[in-house]
Amino acid sequence: MPEITAFEAPEIEWVALAPLLIVLGTGIVGVLVEAFVPARARRLTQIVLTLAALAGALVAVGVLWGMLQDTLTAQPGQEAALNPRVLGGTLFLTPFALGAQGIITILAILGVLVVADRTSTGEDAFAPTAAAVPGTHYEDLAREAGLRQTEIYPLLLFAAGGMMLFASTDDLIVMFIALEVLSLPLYVLCATARRRRLLSQEAAAKYFLLGAFASALFIFGVALIYGFGGMVVRGGNPDAIGVRLLEVSSASRNILSQGGSLPDGTAALYLAGVVLVVVGLLFKVGAVPFHAWTPDVYTGAPTPITGFMAAATKAAAVVALVQVLWRAGFGMAPDVVEQLQLAVVVIAVLTMAVGTVVGAVQTDVKRLLAYSSIAHAGFLVTGVVGFATVVDGGAAVSFVTPPEGQTIVAPDVIRGVLFYLLAYGVATVGAFGVVTLVRERSADGVILGEATDLAAWRGLGRRAPWLTAAFALFLLSMAGIPLTAGFVAKFGVFSAAVAAGYWWLAVLGVLASVVAVAFYVRVIVIMVMTPSNEETAAAAQGVVAVRDAGVPGSGAGLSGSGASGRGSADASAAPAGGAVEPAAPASGAVRTAAPEGGLATATVFGEEHEAKAEAAATDAVVVGSRGPAAVAVALCAAATLVLGLFPSLVLDLAEQATRYVP
Amino acid sequence: MTPDMAAMTTTDGEAFLFWVLAPLMVLAALGLLFVRRAVHAALCLVFVMVSLAIMYIASGAPFLGVVQVVVYTGAVMMLFLFVLMLVGVDASDSLTETIRGQRWIGLLLGLGLAVVLIGVVSRATFLPGTPLTENQVANPVGLARILFGDYVLAMETVGVLLVTAAMGALVLTHRRRLETKRTQRWVAEQRVKALAEGGTLTPLPAPGVYAQSNAMDTPALGPDGRPLEHSVSRVLRIRGQEKAAPASLVETRSAGQVSTVPAATPDGGEDS
Amino acid sequence: MEITNYVVLACILFAIGATTVLLRRNAIVVFMGVELMLNATNLAFVTFARIHGDLTGQVLAFFVMVVAAAEVVVGLAIIVTIFRTRRSASVDDVNLLHG
Repeated sequence: MPEITAFEAPEIEWVALAPLLIVLGTGIVGVLVEAFVPARARRLTQIVLTLAALAGALVAVGVLWGMLQDTLTAQPGQEAALNPRVLGGTLFLTPFALGAQGIITILAILGVLVVADRTSTGEDAFAPTAAAVPGTHYEDLAREAGLRQTEIYPLLLFAAGGMMLFASTDDLIVMFIALEVLSLPLYVLCATARRRRLLSQEAAAKYFLLGAFASALFIFGVALIYGFGGMVVRGGNPDAIGVRLLEVSSASRNILSQGGSLPDGTAALYLAGVVLVVVGLLFKVGAVPFHAWTPDVYTGAPTPITGFMAAATKAAAVVALVQVLWRAGFGMAPDVVEQLQLAVVVIAVLTMAVGTVVGAVQTDVKRLLAYSSIAHAGFLVTGVVGFATVVDGGAAVSFVTPPEGQTIVAPDVIRGVLFYLLAYGVATVGAFGVVTLVRERSADGVILGEATDLAAWRGLGRRAPWLTAAFALFLLSMAGIPLTAGFVAKFGVFSAAVAAGYWWLAVLGVLASVVAVAFYVRVIVIMVMTPSNEETAAAAQGVVAVRDAGVPGSGAGLSGSGASGRGSADASAAPAGGAVEPAAPASGAVRTAAPEGGLATATVFGEEHEAKAEAAATDAVVVGSRGPAAVAVALCAAATLVLGLFPSLVLDLAEQATRYVP
Repeated sequence: MTPDMAAMTTTDGEAFLFWVLAPLMVLAALGLLFVRRAVHAALCLVFVMVSLAIMYIASGAPFLGVVQVVVYTGAVMMLFLFVLMLVGVDASDSLTETIRGQRWIGLLLGLGLAVVLIGVVSRATFLPGTPLTENQVANPVGLARILFGDYVLAMETVGVLLVTAAMGALVLTHRRRLETKRTQRWVAEQRVKALAEGGTLTPLPAPGVYAQSNAMDTPALGPDGRPLEHSVSRVLRIRGQEKAAPASLVETRSAGQVSTVPAATPDGGEDS
Repeated sequence: MEITNYVVLACILFAIGATTVLLRRNAIVVFMGVELMLNATNLAFVTFARIHGDLTGQVLAFFVMVVAAAEVVVGLAIIVTIFRTRRSASVDDVNLLHG
């Protein structure tokens, strides 16, 4: 019998784990806060804790980045500042992975800001208590008691931590666990919307069932890879066999490059395993055959969560996808890699096509953004196709060892993907942040839920120019118009595809972008050029009494964030601009004052009972932010512009990330 | 029973076990696909899981076998059954239509997956490695070494996962008490308060129980011999399902008279 | 008997589980299909561990079990929530998910 005392505790590199430990640890602390902090102080405590943890993680990532660069540029013989392989690869801190951690943290901070905003109506996007059955007496009681679902903050932290681990591990079983750590909180968060609760709960169920299915495919792939890995890694220490992809691939590659052959049929086993794993990942990315959940879940989930989910999950999943493809391709025969690549190309084409074509006919803003996210998944996958090719004079040749005079494409992929993820993520969080502020209003002036119907957005530009400008900027960035971040990003991924020899794929991508431009511009036209519904009605009937189109919440928006510096200027500017603008100049309408502003803040409103048809006819109103969301939107807008005008700042960093190929 | 770990073949005993269990398991799994009631599907799944536990033990993983029984059949499937009871055992196909089912495509995809996977697996040649020793097999210490050695981070993360799961479930299902608790004292005080508005301190009288009509729907008779309407359940009264007290009893008494034993009537109405 | 028969069995069970997910419309049964898939995966892990003479596979299977347990908790919570709402789904202004 082996003795327990013979166990040697593994050496853990705590420094490398710091970002993860901060985020997940604070999540646990957040759970304790739920138990011990009195209800009044809980929300504030949670928000502060969450933001502090994410900021701390960002700092830690920055420090680690410096250490990692020192290590990578170190002279041979110099002592390494940081061992990137923690615990034998359980955590594998390549610069790529670390960059992904940084991006996820940034997006999470922005996302949490949007989540934390209660807007001038005094209510956030979440149900007072998600456990209450919609429409019951208990729900009314919960609303009157002013309950807040503060558990969302620790859940967000867990999700963010899971994503960070997901993007930076080499071990497939850890990746599986991280996949669940990031998914489970998101499933729950999807079901917590304040309005249209059944829709939200169904979205959660759908997301959950399909997500569980995808993760089951993923883990079966891992099992097959384990079956293959054991065969090639074997020998020496039997404990070393596992599902560390890099080890498995290197072992397989050793056999291949020494002219040996793998045991009969095992190459197919490996391929099948990798394909299943990739399918699991593509589901999270939202690429086409596995995209069915995206529109419904994005529509049903509370909007701030949708923003966070769309941006950060995609970042984590794409980075994991690149790493898995790269590492797996490393250990495969060249022709197998080419087949795999072809499959990825097909998926990229399909995804771009479906995303742009179906997206073009959507009339619901959230659905439109969901399809846009599918299209972006397509562009990202386009950037990924170069994962394992060596280029020889423009033509992609097989993989294996790069002979002289050839370049490995991976650096292009890394640079392109990282930049794209940041640009897309920032625009997405910002766009969904804007959506949270544009609301429906019932006939008696009560502010309801988000006005997701595009018809209600008509003429928004007149009423809230700043907000509209920000939204238009995000859309333009998503469309890839020059001078925005999206342009540089798209250029990056397409050039990565070209470098991999798939120039025609890049051309298709550009075509898809052009179509996509049409559908983004359509939204901008609706917001800016089209007269609002009220104006149209007034003009048609010659009726003078046009309802007030001002901004009820502007007063609260002004007073909401006195202390938050530059951001608050934007915050108050956005809604206030809408109020200053004359409401309906066309017919000299009598503009009634908007006393509902204060009223709306004080009263807590329930489910919206208005029929959809009525909502379509009325205009959306913009509610004032209480600060955080406006700060987030302003930051996103600023980032989109800065990334577009001075991409070199981030591109340099991304360049550093290519020093170490995944 | 020591499994023969040295080669790629099993002992005859294990082969027998396999060929008995495997077809049954596949049948039970197919039950999941074709059985109409969710409860039956759950029972099928329980059978598969227990069989799997047996197979694990036969394959040199006794610890996993035990965990399988405890975690899967003991906890997971019980949870499933519990939820089925909650939702209603008869709820066979009503819950949600989450996935648009193109039946045939689904069937084809499933078949295709099976064919591909089986093809891949059966073509692959596996070389036996160094067999596990008896000591390794019978002892969870080896597992613990790996668990807390290379996989310690995974272990910690799983901890986070479990916290997340507990918290998520609480968010979705835990309802905090928002009204004051109804203690006996509270109820008593409410009754006394209600007295002023014509409430009663005591519980309502029980309905009359007579030999000819079996209670509940027939009012009791008050001391004055008149039927007490409120002794019958309110629901029955609203539905109009209450019956009159036996005419013989009501009629034989005049107001104020409290006699008890009536003469035997042809109706057979008797106090019991 | 070849040990690989176990893996073949795992593949069959996995495929049946996947088909259940694709075909059935009752959320609980669909979820059971996912559980079947995970169980099949565990069988594959254990068998491969036996072939390789390596305990890691068993540890992996152990992790899968724990993860599955966590998943069940959340999944059933979501399903119960929906059920509660549906039973009294008269008030909500829902246009159900199309698609």
